[in-house]
Amino acid sequence: MLVVNNVTKKYGKLVANDRINLSIGSGEVSLLLGPNGAGKSTLIKCIAGLLKFSGNIEVCGNGNKSLMAKRDLGYIPEVPSLYDMLTIWEHMEFIARAYSLKNWKDRAEELISRFELDDKKRKLGKELSKGMQQKLSICCGFLPDPKVILFDEPMVGLDPHAIKELKTMINEQQRAGKAILISTHMLDSVTEFWNSTNIMMDGKIVAKRNRSEMEEAGEDLEELFFRITKREN
Amino acid sequence: MKALVYLILTQIKNKLLSIRKRPGIIILYAFVLLVIVGSVLIAIMSGGSQIDKSNVDHRILYLFLSGFGILYVYTFISSGLSTGSTYFSMADVGLLFVAPISPKKILVYGLLRTMGKTMLASIFIFYQIPNLNRLFGYGYMEIIALFLIYVVILMICQTLSIGVYIFSNGNETRKKIVRSFLYAYLGILIVSVYLIIQKEQVGILDAAKIMVDSELFSYLPVTGWAIMFFKGVIMGSFMHVLISLGLFITLGILLISLLTGHKADYYEDVLHSTEITFQRLKDYRDRRNISSTTNRKIKVKDHENGLQKGKGAIVFAYKHILEAKRSSRFVFVDSLTLFMTIGVAIAGYTMKSRFNAYIVLATVIYIQYFYTIFGRLKIELMKPYIYLIPETSFRKLVAASLSSLLKPCVDSVFIFGALALVGGVSVLQCIFMALAYCCSGAVFVGLTVVYQMVLGSQPNRILQVFLGFFIMLLVFLPAIITSVLFSTYIIPESMKFLSTLPFSIVNLISAFFMFYACRNLLDNSEFSDKM
Repeated sequence: MLVVNNVTKKYGKLVANDRINLSIGSGEVSLLLGPNGAGKSTLIKCIAGLLKFSGNIEVCGNGNKSLMAKRDLGYIPEVPSLYDMLTIWEHMEFIARAYSLKNWKDRAEELISRFELDDKKRKLGKELSKGMQQKLSICCGFLPDPKVILFDEPMVGLDPHAIKELKTMINEQQRAGKAILISTHMLDSVTEFWNSTNIMMDGKIVAKRNRSEMEEAGEDLEELFFRITKREN
Repeated sequence: MKALVYLILTQIKNKLLSIRKRPGIIILYAFVLLVIVGSVLIAIMSGGSQIDKSNVDHRILYLFLSGFGILYVYTFISSGLSTGSTYFSMADVGLLFVAPISPKKILVYGLLRTMGKTMLASIFIFYQIPNLNRLFGYGYMEIIALFLIYVVILMICQTLSIGVYIFSNGNETRKKIVRSFLYAYLGILIVSVYLIIQKEQVGILDAAKIMVDSELFSYLPVTGWAIMFFKGVIMGSFMHVLISLGLFITLGILLISLLTGHKADYYEDVLHSTEITFQRLKDYRDRRNISSTTNRKIKVKDHENGLQKGKGAIVFAYKHILEAKRSSRFVFVDSLTLFMTIGVAIAGYTMKSRFNAYIVLATVIYIQYFYTIFGRLKIELMKPYIYLIPETSFRKLVAASLSSLLKPCVDSVFIFGALALVGGVSVLQCIFMALAYCCSGAVFVGLTVVYQMVLGSQPNRILQVFLGFFIMLLVFLPAIITSVLFSTYIIPESMKFLSTLPFSIVNLISAFFMFYACRNLLDNSEFSDKM
């Protein structure tokens, strides 16, 4: 459902992403791991169509900048980007209208309720705490019911209840056949549901593993991460 | 105390060292220095001080000084009633407030630092040396006095804001008392001007001049004291200078005692203000549109919660209207509209001529440049949604620009309405000037799009401010030339109100081309939340 083919992203002389290849199928949760500055966020932004790159990215068979791909793609940024003067409910309405969604209100209510924001629907974006902003940002990403979901450090700033709820939701999406890419540093938080992992260093994917492969080989995700990133350092 | 001295000196040292690595800033500082030195040299060479001082109307300067004073008193007291002001940064709160250093010493540190910053920010007064010398025959003594009193006004107003915050925070009755004093302060001025108009049978401007020159006005807190000080320097009256300084010092001591009084814990009080100031600075650095938000508490009622309209790209336009409604009760009519309308009305009233109307038009277009390129379209380009939403780039761009195109149309009704009513400029000329103003707005929105396309992001404020004027001239040049030629060679005197029409048409065409050339902007450029 998501195919990244030979993607390179340069900022001047700095190569942020160097010939990246990865693919994620239906019902797959793939991790993007790596130390700070490895190029994870850049790759996620390239996939989301926010940055220019060389190479090819396809979302459900369509070029990632096409309208069809945009319809199928959900992106939850690392830093929530909300509108100061819109309420929580208006953010949901804005997304619903912008994506021309039908019968969205029940889904919006459910998302807001699951993240315990239902009593704050009339609160403005600028009045929300960092954690609440992150929750709303996740709700906005989920509302169009995208087939491919990109998470950039989704757990940062969330309280334990919200982390638990997000994990449940990711599990649900996985079962519903969505393709999910999660960039994170918090290895503990994703151990339950990942299917594949990509470890990045200096703009390159230096290791790829499937969960089954690792389990067969008796490898541990955390150990693998430290071994690879330490050796590369 | 050693730690505080170390902190101040190290900050100054590091600031100076950091400049070495920023050639742009070095050039900027060199330019400022050059302008000041140049101003002094021009003043010396022009020999303007030989003008007949008996014919000089010092009241004009008193009026300017009073205007600044009243504006600062109102602004800082108002901010004291909501968020307060601060001498401190978040780093001070996090590191100094928790350190074992006397709060009084920390307060002195804050005061000194703020004073330094205020003095640097007030240096612009020295740019006016040639003008002050030529128009009023002022020497260095008077100009330094003007600089000092301006700094004192700012410092006192800032302390006043903190004092008001400490006094009234969380106490509605006290807030009402302060508000009553503030309204009484302003009310006295309005009533005085009215009484002078009635008594002396003069215009509003002359009445204001008489008022600021009166002995009684000299005792009006802050503003009047400043005039007393400056008059004292001009007239060589040591007593006036002394009384005014005494009044400022007494008020300063009173306010500082309020901060350091044994019951007051100013840490808690300034913490909130510091956080707000920090957020504002952060917004400024993150280029969030400060003008699109508001500091007042907004309570959204159930029936107001929702966009209600729009599907697809057009939802950006409806969202902007909703945001505008939240920022200002009258949607597109906001403080900018008010400020420009009052400004134009005063300018129109004082300099009645057709040519001056064009100067007014040029000035409001220049102000509009900054408000448009810091506007809502820019904010959208710095958030991911406009790139993610499944609509064509062109539709999204147009929809996100609509509010920025509409606002000048609304503003123009007030601005040029005032020019027609107060300035005596013909209604027809005002209509065509309003059209020119709206079309300039379209060019500025187009420029925002072009900036993003060419630079890949929005240029920073310094670049926009310094290059803004030249870019504007460059873009407007064909339109201005067409208008001048049309006005000079084609239209008869009776049709001169049409002079700005070619300017409007050429601008509209330019704006269209800018949009058309950048129609695929959102597919071809990169999202960047930084500048």
